[in-house]
Amino acid sequence: MVQDTRLIELKGISKSFGDTQVLHAVDLYIRKCEFITLLGPSGCGKTTLLRIIGGFETPDAGSVLFEGADMGSVPPYRRRINTVFQKYALFSHLNVFDNIAFGLNLKSPEALGVKTRRQKKAEIARRVNRMLKLVKMEGYEKRSIDQLSGGQQQRIAIARALVNEPEVLLLDEPLGALDLKLRKEMQVELKAMQQQLGITFIYVTHDQEEALTMSDTVVVLNGGRIQQIGEPKRIYDEPKNAFVADFIGESNILSGIMRADRLVEMLGVEFPCVDEGFGKDEPVDVVVRPEDIEVVPAADGMLTGTVESVIFKGVHYEMMIDTGDMRWKVHSTAMQPAGSRVGLRIVPFNIHIMHKEA
Amino acid sequence: MKRSWYAAPYAVWMALFTVVPLLFVCYYAFTTRTGEFTTENLTRIFDYAPVLFDSLRLALYCTALCLLIGYPAAYFMASRDMSRNKSLAVLILLPMWMNFLLRTYAMMTLFENNGVLNSIFEWLGLPRQQMIGTEGAVLVGMVYNFLPFMVLPIYTVLKKLDSRVIEAAEDLGANPIRVVTRVVLPLSVPGIVSGITMVFMPAVTTFAISRLMSSGMIYLMGDMIEEFYITMNNRNVGSAMSLVMMVLILISIGFLRKADPEGQGGGIW
Amino acid sequence: MVRKSRRAVKAFKWTYLAVVLAFLYVPIAVMIALSFNASVSRAEWTGFTFDWYLKLFQSDAIIAALEVTIEVALIATAVSTVLGTLGAIGIHAMKKGWASLLVNLSYLPMTTPDIVTGVSLMLMFVFMNIPLGKGTMLMAHIAFDTPYVLFAVMPRLKQMNPNLYEAALDLGCHPMKALYKVILPEILPGVVTGALLAFTMSLDDFVISYFTSSTDQNLSMIVYSAARRGVEPTMYALSTLMFLAILLLLLIVNRRSSLEEM
Repeated sequence: MVQDTRLIELKGISKSFGDTQVLHAVDLYIRKCEFITLLGPSGCGKTTLLRIIGGFETPDAGSVLFEGADMGSVPPYRRRINTVFQKYALFSHLNVFDNIAFGLNLKSPEALGVKTRRQKKAEIARRVNRMLKLVKMEGYEKRSIDQLSGGQQQRIAIARALVNEPEVLLLDEPLGALDLKLRKEMQVELKAMQQQLGITFIYVTHDQEEALTMSDTVVVLNGGRIQQIGEPKRIYDEPKNAFVADFIGESNILSGIMRADRLVEMLGVEFPCVDEGFGKDEPVDVVVRPEDIEVVPAADGMLTGTVESVIFKGVHYEMMIDTGDMRWKVHSTAMQPAGSRVGLRIVPFNIHIMHKEA
Repeated sequence: MKRSWYAAPYAVWMALFTVVPLLFVCYYAFTTRTGEFTTENLTRIFDYAPVLFDSLRLALYCTALCLLIGYPAAYFMASRDMSRNKSLAVLILLPMWMNFLLRTYAMMTLFENNGVLNSIFEWLGLPRQQMIGTEGAVLVGMVYNFLPFMVLPIYTVLKKLDSRVIEAAEDLGANPIRVVTRVVLPLSVPGIVSGITMVFMPAVTTFAISRLMSSGMIYLMGDMIEEFYITMNNRNVGSAMSLVMMVLILISIGFLRKADPEGQGGGIW
Repeated sequence: MVRKSRRAVKAFKWTYLAVVLAFLYVPIAVMIALSFNASVSRAEWTGFTFDWYLKLFQSDAIIAALEVTIEVALIATAVSTVLGTLGAIGIHAMKKGWASLLVNLSYLPMTTPDIVTGVSLMLMFVFMNIPLGKGTMLMAHIAFDTPYVLFAVMPRLKQMNPNLYEAALDLGCHPMKALYKVILPEILPGVVTGALLAFTMSLDDFVISYFTSSTDQNLSMIVYSAARRGVEPTMYALSTLMFLAILLLLLIVNRRSSLEEM
């Protein structure tokens, strides 16, 4: 699926608005047919980065290359990129058909592979109908935009962008305004569409679950800097620093000291782990996912603590367990009553060691 | 071309036809007929101190009367059992957009010596009254013209007032009078401030209203300025007077802005 | 008891507002009635007549003033609509500092007393040796009309999804084309309201026209010079017609957007 050719390359992109620098020398490449997600909290610079790719913002420094060619002076209307905007930005004075046909109408008949104006009209109708089918909105051609629900508007916005056959589709939090159920459905549909069309999707979201579900590659951004780039599973399992660990999924983060290769000391207890290559006695951040902690009888635990609270979360129980100098979040299918003394065990493979942030 | 450049013709036009002309007022105010610098024009205004004083006094009376009449009107219009009546608000506010000259002319018809009011007095067996030419007539003409300018901003503020605030006050034991004095009135201060500005400003600079309602007996600042420009063809003293008036108004606006820093009063100013 | 007092309060409110309305409209109504009075005197009603209206249309001065008024209003509306709409679009796209500077500049003619606006323009025209007539009146009207258009269009732009323009560019639209294919349809209601308002203000103006034109008179100036000479029934007829025209325009504007929110 994802090809090795680099379609878009960002080199040293920096951008400031007034006194605040929102992007600090960002380097990134995007491959052909890749579904790449820019993930981060609001204000991390992900939307700005997307807008720079789309040509709506000019970077203060750095360059955007498209198949190796600098795009710096290419205005948005000449880029082979289309965008699905936040809140859709549909044209309310046009109906569904005319919204989708907007981009095609601007093209010459030749660009659509036909000769006359009449043929152009027929060709546009054909392509728009094909798109309506793709987004499952057949029969809505004559509807006005105001008559559509949020989910339907979303589909029209996607169709309006895709009908121009872009090589890259930019999506700026496209599902943000939808309710949870619809969002899940659209996630599946978007992924299917991307695979069917075989084009590159660059997706912006602050929802980590969305990012992990759909993407080939996730780029985690914070404070205008890339924190980590990788496949979803790798990002989840091996967060590079405390920010990524905290932002992606729930986790227990604590400070530790590497006593030796494959041995970390935290809370005064030495734990075997699988990480190597840290300096001796180097201070590190340690991440343990809540589901990776085993609750055992107090006598068998590497640490012992008291269950402070128990909440049923549907498939598991979430317990807060206090071991004196640390409160652990633990997910388990077996419930321990609040107030009971328990032991905690963590197997070496589930302990992730990260360099301390400077 | 960046989109912000679309505003360029507008900016140029506005600069040329609002800022530059005001600079001309300053220039003429400080020069003699032959173009030499002087402050004599400004000092000559003191010769007309009574006119200035009269203008300020009448404008103040007018503003006070408008507030006195306009506040209850705005309050009633915005009250819960009236606010559904949208056309009422439109009717009361509409005159502010209508030609003040025509409306003054209409008022004149009523007040003239052999006008409609005197005919009614006669019919009732009362003696005819000399009304045109009195200060009272000028004041009525001014209030008549400027009342909607007081009502609008107060009405706007009161309409936006959350009715739950009033209910909360009632809930806490405030009687209707207390609700008005302790809650509604303080909350509508921005509207009052804006209304005072909107009435006082045109009132102090009015010229045709006083001229018509007093048949030329009472002279206000506006009439003096007109006189200097049109009849006496003395642009320098006229400009000095305009300048003083502008400064006066800017001071009063600045003064009132302090009471309504967020400009919640709405309205066109 | 409570219900009774509530009804009394409501009756009091109605009475008060009715008195205010009467104060505002009775003089106008009387004037309109008198425009149909056969007698020249305001003291007595001697029968219904259209004579004053006929006289109106036989007066060369009034016909000329009508032509001036309409010509100035139409051209001023056209120019100020274009200037104001483009201005609003430009200001909307500007950085905050510049935008607020220009918006404040737009408030200036609204805060300056009419008489000062009038004399300041007159001074400039006289200084530049431009004869005071229809042309200078037109320029002055454009100057005070344009902010009305600007302030009618600005809220529309603010409501607009900021991505609409970018969406048009994204779909291959040239910036100029995006302006009239996407932005203009979106803000059109505001533009029309602004144009109507500008036209009304222009028809309505007296003070600024009075100072910026001496060779050509508009209808308001005719009324003023007639009023200074005393009352004349033809002027009642003229005023009545002007009132009705302005009232009609205002009602249309008000239907489009609440005037009180302007």
